Amino acid sequence: MKFEREVFGLLGFLLVLGALYFALIETGPAKFFTAPNAQKLFYLHVPSGLITYLAFLMVVGGSIIFLYNGSEYADRLAKSSTELGIVFGLMSLASGTFWMKAEWGGDIVSRFLTDMRLATTLAMWLLYIAYFVYRRQPETLQVKKNAAILGLSGMLMVPLSYLSSRYLRSHHPVIVGTEDQGSLDPSLRFGLYLGLFGFLFIFIFLFKFRMEIEKMERDIFKVKMEKI
Amino acid sequence: MRFLALLLIILLFSGSSLGECRNKDCMTTQFKFETMGHTFHYDKVFNIGTNWYIIFDYPVNNTNKTISFEFSTGISKEHVYDNDLVTDSISFSGSTFSEENLNLVLNVIITDEDNSTNGFNLNIDINKPPADDLFYLWGGMTVFWTAIGAYVLYISIKFNKLRDKL
Repeated sequence: MKFEREVFGLLGFLLVLGALYFALIETGPAKFFTAPNAQKLFYLHVPSGLITYLAFLMVVGGSIIFLYNGSEYADRLAKSSTELGIVFGLMSLASGTFWMKAEWGGDIVSRFLTDMRLATTLAMWLLYIAYFVYRRQPETLQVKKNAAILGLSGMLMVPLSYLSSRYLRSHHPVIVGTEDQGSLDPSLRFGLYLGLFGFLFIFIFLFKFRMEIEKMERDIFKVKMEKI
Repeated sequence: MRFLALLLIILLFSGSSLGECRNKDCMTTQFKFETMGHTFHYDKVFNIGTNWYIIFDYPVNNTNKTISFEFSTGISKEHVYDNDLVTDSISFSGSTFSEENLNLVLNVIITDEDNSTNGFNLNIDINKPPADDLFYLWGGMTVFWTAIGAYVLYISIKFNKLRDKL
């Protein structure tokens, strides 16, 4: 389809607007929260966090395939996913920080140092910043291989970040896979799914866009090399 | 970028809670219970989210045992006298109430050593101040749109440059 990418983008944008409508207008200020307005960040904070995990897992998958058979497509996928993971990770970390400041109060720096969910997620994000910086150099085979090995660290960092609030010292609430999951208000769940699918479609739009750019860069590089 | 850095600095250095005053000087209302000789200092407005205090001066020759404070909603606290003190106080947590209520009756009952009781009523207004977390809500929401918008702009510029080269 000619405008497939744009359709994903538009659909994602509309779904996120729907999530915002549910969060800010339909449901009203949340009960049982110290910061009833800031709780509305939940509808986009959780989806952005989950999309970050998805992006970094795609880096892991792309890196494994590249190391296995040297697939250029897999390498492009890993590189593009890293950028998107950084963007969505920034959204998740920053929105979480705003919400945390309103709901829990206290010092942000010490929270990031002592709460294991926050610390491991920040470490994971910084690791992929390192990957991103490393790839900003001429792309030789050795650079790609080294980057793929760095990308594999997500195999450890993603599960560590995701499971840290369950098994390590953390204030971060856990909902998925617990008894609380069933107790979620239906309207809250609906708004969450709107946000999740909205961000997923925006992610697909950005991913396709980024992959195309990556392909163009490599095509230009090939033409240059042929001229030489 | 500068805007995000500014937001981060504000977040890092902003305080998380306002200081609460537990001195007589901060109390707006004073009530002297002539029968027993106590003087009560309190704020007629109970702000939800902020601890509420009532300070009381004991009479000179104190023979009381306990003093209890009971709101008409059923929430109550009992305080045992400390004869070494001249002034004492009791507090109710800021989360005691969740809804506004005007002229809520606070029943104060003083029990003497011989278990005889004396009491009186105070009227307290329960006030729900506007939530001050809107800054954090809009700060957080701004991050989503700024991040996506900036990234789309970044890849669009890159895309156009590459298209011109091809």
